[in-house]
Amino acid sequence: MARSSVQSTIVFEVLRRLTTAAGITIILSVVAVIVSAVVAGPFTLVNAIVTGGMWALLAVGLSLVFGVMNIPNFAHGEFFMVGTLVSYLVFTPLHKYLRQNPSSVLSTVAPFAGIFAALLVGALLGVVVEKLIFFQLRRRSREQWVMNSFLLTVGLSVVMINGHQLLWGTNFKGIPRYWDVKPIDLFGVNISMDRAVALGLAVVTIAIFWFFLMRTRTGRAIRAVAQDETGAQMVGIDLNRIQVLTMALSSALAAMAGASLLFMFPSYPTVGLKPLYVAWYVVILVGLGNVAGATIGGFLVALLQTLTSYFIGVGWEDVVPTALIILILLFKPSGLFGSEVKGVWEQ
Amino acid sequence: MQKTETVSARAGRLGNGLLSILNALGITPLGLALIILLAILPFIPPFDREDLLRWLVGAALIAAQAIAFDFTTGYINVVNFGFAAFLGFGAYTSALLAVDFGISPWIGMFVGALASGGLGFFTGVLTLRLRGIFAAVMAWFVGLALLGLARNLVDITRGPMGLSVPTFLETASNRPYFYIILVMLLITYLVLRWITSSHIGLAFKAIGQNIEAARASGVNPTFYRVFNFTVQCAFAGWLGGFYAHYYGILTPQLMHTSHTVEVLAIAYVGGRGSIWGGAFIAFPFIFFIEWLRSSLTSLPGLHLVIYGLLLILVMIFYPGGVAQFYYWIADRVGKARRGSAEQSG
Repeated sequence: MARSSVQSTIVFEVLRRLTTAAGITIILSVVAVIVSAVVAGPFTLVNAIVTGGMWALLAVGLSLVFGVMNIPNFAHGEFFMVGTLVSYLVFTPLHKYLRQNPSSVLSTVAPFAGIFAALLVGALLGVVVEKLIFFQLRRRSREQWVMNSFLLTVGLSVVMINGHQLLWGTNFKGIPRYWDVKPIDLFGVNISMDRAVALGLAVVTIAIFWFFLMRTRTGRAIRAVAQDETGAQMVGIDLNRIQVLTMALSSALAAMAGASLLFMFPSYPTVGLKPLYVAWYVVILVGLGNVAGATIGGFLVALLQTLTSYFIGVGWEDVVPTALIILILLFKPSGLFGSEVKGVWEQ
Repeated sequence: MQKTETVSARAGRLGNGLLSILNALGITPLGLALIILLAILPFIPPFDREDLLRWLVGAALIAAQAIAFDFTTGYINVVNFGFAAFLGFGAYTSALLAVDFGISPWIGMFVGALASGGLGFFTGVLTLRLRGIFAAVMAWFVGLALLGLARNLVDITRGPMGLSVPTFLETASNRPYFYIILVMLLITYLVLRWITSSHIGLAFKAIGQNIEAARASGVNPTFYRVFNFTVQCAFAGWLGGFYAHYYGILTPQLMHTSHTVEVLAIAYVGGRGSIWGGAFIAFPFIFFIEWLRSSLTSLPGLHLVIYGLLLILVMIFYPGGVAQFYYWIADRVGKARRGSAEQSG
């Protein structure tokens, strides 16, 4: 008797979780995954998962910066663009050199050099932007901070896009692939090495990042600042240091995403716009400042886009997700995963 | 002697009456002088050249947009990040009415205004219950969706190939168009200025500064914000109608976010919450940018770098923009005048 009542409460609890907006969405997307794998072939699925990992990286960075610094970053896609550019500039000469002096070890490592360089440059750029722009505004005025910092990032984005155009021109600077090896065969689907590595990098990075945020002292400090700035200052957290670190982390993640997807997104001035839209879709969909939700959201949006371009047509993958997100938000304005930092939105 | 005095007194009274009318309309004597200057500018060389006239029309169009933009940004503190898309929606509505149904552009542009206003109303009702940036981002998403639709509905909009639209007039000269847009600019200014200087404008300001305090004093934030947003979108659609029937070609690129950023930068550099600041700065600014663009063709994108840098610098170091500078000067001049009056008296 007692056991059955315990069981029934567990069943009830599970049912309750599943009928929240988040639960329903996850169920629906699992169904969509199965259906699309059957109808459209597993390839679409693989595509969705690979891009989803990268969208998750982008969205996590965007979400972090909003949670910690209250900056809705419109220039986030431009860090993605910088990542593609740096990786291209580093990898192409290496590749040329390797064509003349073949070396199997070096050609395995060379792409990582490009990606790592992008990561470093992204982090550095994040520090510079924080010091030169956000810090300056924060020092002068904190009135209507969210809107004003948003507009600053708009300006920054315009400068970075056109700076790229001025210095490197508008032509596509891309590579066909990083690794010139045979694709991996998985359940009868050919997955190119680039895709596999991109997915692996995304998963590993998110795992490390998660560990850093949850388990280390600095990670805790970052979360403390996100929850309550004044309180964090009171217990002796150096706010400036955390803000610089957050911005550096966020832009490094974006740059890394750009570098690992260079084979899909050749570098050109406005290459960051699409990833930017997507990162924003994700972040708004799951609720701002919700880092865990952003990870799931990245995969959700990628799936939505892949399905749209497969079933409805290429070119619609912006329209349909937007419309769906607007619809979802009508019923759940704080985002699917109902973030706790909703208050920040409302400033 | 006596007679001249009465005449000058009468002239003075007349002048005062005129001034008070102008004052009620929100035009200072300096503003009136600038308007008159604008009105005769197309006849003064070198501005009577067709290419410079084209710049003038473009500048006036941007000026009117900056006024409409500031009406929302500077008052209720909501950035309509899909502004260009609402403009484009009005433009496409008017253009398609003219192309498919042969409706006169003069009527079409008002239908376009209604359509944009309606769309703005729905967007506003859905997003402005929530605060601040949420509405900005949602308006941006709506804008992106509209851009995507314009690109993809090739059967209707001809997509990126561009829709060729009948123009207002048969003439190839730009001068009549300049007067059309000048009148539209003035109407935009007068109407929006009239709204913001009424008690509605007071409510807008209260909401923009502190929404809780506004709500506590009995102002319904949602109503006023939706009203403001709708009016802005309607004006955007109306100006879009002019765009369509002036340039004669419409591409989805018109709705792109970069266009919103252009208007945004000018409205901010002009001065938030001033209504006239953006319109004032638009003319010298657009001329400078166009001059830069035509003389430095080897450096494409330089003008946009300047837009971005200027936006950042103004936001950080001088958030009041040109309007604040003007008020500062006016204040100094007023003080100096009072000081000298006291000394002499």
